[in-house]
Amino acid sequence: MLKVRIIPILTFNGFGLVKTKNFSNPRMVGNPVQAARVYNSRGVDELVFLDIFATEQKRKINFKLVGEVIKECYMPVAIGGGIGTIDDINSLLKIGADKVVIKTKALTDIAFIKEAVAFFGSQCITIAVDVKKEGNVYKIYNKLGLDLTLDDFTKKMEDCEVGEFVLTSVDNDGLMNGFDIELVDCFMSATKIPVIAAGGGGEMIHYKNLFTKTKVEAVGSASIFHFTQFTPMDIKNELLKHNIPVRV
Amino acid sequence: MVAIIDYGMGNIASVQKALTFLNIQSTVTSDFKEIEKSKSIILPGVGSFLQGMKNLRAKNLDQFLTEQVLQKRKKFLGICLGMQLLADRGKEPHANPGLGWIKGSVIKIENIPFRIPHMGWNSIDVKIDSYYKEIPRRDFYFIHSFHFVPEDKHVIAATTNYGINIVASIQQDNIFATQFHPEKSQEAGLSVLKTFFRNA
Repeated sequence: MLKVRIIPILTFNGFGLVKTKNFSNPRMVGNPVQAARVYNSRGVDELVFLDIFATEQKRKINFKLVGEVIKECYMPVAIGGGIGTIDDINSLLKIGADKVVIKTKALTDIAFIKEAVAFFGSQCITIAVDVKKEGNVYKIYNKLGLDLTLDDFTKKMEDCEVGEFVLTSVDNDGLMNGFDIELVDCFMSATKIPVIAAGGGGEMIHYKNLFTKTKVEAVGSASIFHFTQFTPMDIKNELLKHNIPVRV
Repeated sequence: MVAIIDYGMGNIASVQKALTFLNIQSTVTSDFKEIEKSKSIILPGVGSFLQGMKNLRAKNLDQFLTEQVLQKRKKFLGICLGMQLLADRGKEPHANPGLGWIKGSVIKIENIPFRIPHMGWNSIDVKIDSYYKEIPRRDFYFIHSFHFVPEDKHVIAATTNYGINIVASIQQDNIFATQFHPEKSQEAGLSVLKTFFRNA
């Protein structure tokens, strides 16, 4: 039986780990390589590592640092930030990434996403879907001024046969007051591929609610691991109590 | 020495890292002389079946590896795409021939009530335990949309359930292969690698 995945999402600014609230106010939270070492020793299911400023600052991800992070990991690693060419993906796979996470390029260049899927296979291409609610409509949060609904974007990406989505609620990001269950629930009905839901986890009950009230099979979290004593194993133990399959 | 075949199909650093962790000497190569010198061979790989075969053929590795593994009977480990390529034929993205070492075909996972790709940690049921004797747990990391259906069911070393039974591992003489990624499956995966390469 497939287990649900508990995935730390490490966001960094090119050199140090940072954690945002509502995608703003990045706060320094430590050293990426050390964090990777700790998560590896704790046997987490997977790791997502994102340079959240690469695109904005018009630079490539720091391949050397990413390489050092991956060296610490004996579990799957997904890397994202500033990916814009087939070569970028190749370089990340060569240093041991299993998947790449693409955001901005997916908003502007669908042909590239198709090309990447054809070249590396669906399983390798994860799309970051950052969502903000505007009125009653879920929109794709972006800094390009694009007006895109979640539904339209999801359909376009599914047509490209991407392998996975990381769905993040910008409204709940970093607040640790629970996941946007309605968003996750409606997104799960809209797509047939695997989803990592993120944004809002802060207490055990949030994870129980996420996995009992939606069909999602993976969760991404950051703040709870940076700012509380809870570990991924605590979340798994909580889920076990509710008969949700986890790897322990 | 283990030769990890470099044919431009990703994920090679992780395989070598796992072997290094286990103190198993390895080299990442596509050079015939180096492969000839090594005692065993790993064919890793992620990506599409068609592209994988194209890349092997471009370096004449299809014929050379066949000679090394089927005639010289070197110990061989295929991982993920490296397992699928052993089949007679694949269908990704359309029908095309594979290495043909194991009779069978590689087809899309379909008609199941679950999401595709099959992605994440799934438990395996072991049928042939030669290399699974010491695994601390049965969960391994899978990430694939196609699966290997062998003609002779006796070559199935392990299966995993994802709505249907999926072949998780194959064993035939000196050939062993896994659909999951041992190099990404923490202690369980390292245990399989350690057992397989004991005395290699």
